[in-house]
Amino acid sequence: MTDGSPAALTDLIAPESIRLDERAASRDDAIRQVGQVLLEAGAIEESYVDAMLERENSVSTFVGEGVAIPHGTLAGKESVKKDALVVLRYPEGIDWDGNDVRVAIGIAAKGNGHIALLSQLATVLLDPEKAEALRNATTNDEVYALLESSDEDDAE
Amino acid sequence: MAERTVTVASSVGLHARPASLFSQAAAKTGVPVTLTSAAGKSVNAASILGVLSLGIGHGEEVTLSAEGDGADAALDSLVELLNTDLDKQ
Repeated sequence: MTDGSPAALTDLIAPESIRLDERAASRDDAIRQVGQVLLEAGAIEESYVDAMLERENSVSTFVGEGVAIPHGTLAGKESVKKDALVVLRYPEGIDWDGNDVRVAIGIAAKGNGHIALLSQLATVLLDPEKAEALRNATTNDEVYALLESSDEDDAE
Repeated sequence: MAERTVTVASSVGLHARPASLFSQAAAKTGVPVTLTSAAGKSVNAASILGVLSLGIGHGEEVTLSAEGDGADAALDSLVELLNTDLDKQ
């Protein structure tokens, strides 16, 4: 881990918040699982999960490359206790409004912290090879290595 | 080439919901539109990942550009979208 980058993605993901062999019956089921992991990480209050479902019903958080980034509404920010990311991988895929989702990255962010987070995350996923590697990741180390690479890109 | 510079009105910037709505609208115009941040980084406006990667906050200026038939109409409609607070809808 490198010094100096205060909001590195990898600093916000606890090892216990990476679950690489999950299964969900539906999109909402997956969002509840993501919410549960954020809850266990101490990042949110339970009401944030409802805000995540509300956001998803308003506009899909599917971003392409088999990845969705569920997060709460603006009003749901009050239920965020600390910034955190969780990574849940679904090897069998989930039907996410007609899209095949393999990885759900849950986001809890106070204030405007999410803009920088989303920017770093999107920068990783814009690289098709990295996106594929994330969809196929089976160890925490792989996930950390992929998300760390965005910090280097930002330093240019 | 048609070009417009606009200030992002959404109170939380161009993140997930506004970025989704914006990139969907850009795709619907049927015209390839380029979105450029104040820092000079350019992406395909119809790519949500591209739009998110720019990390554009509230009140920041962006430039939209497009070429060919329908470029002006496409940019006008997208400028109107960016002038709207998409978080409030």
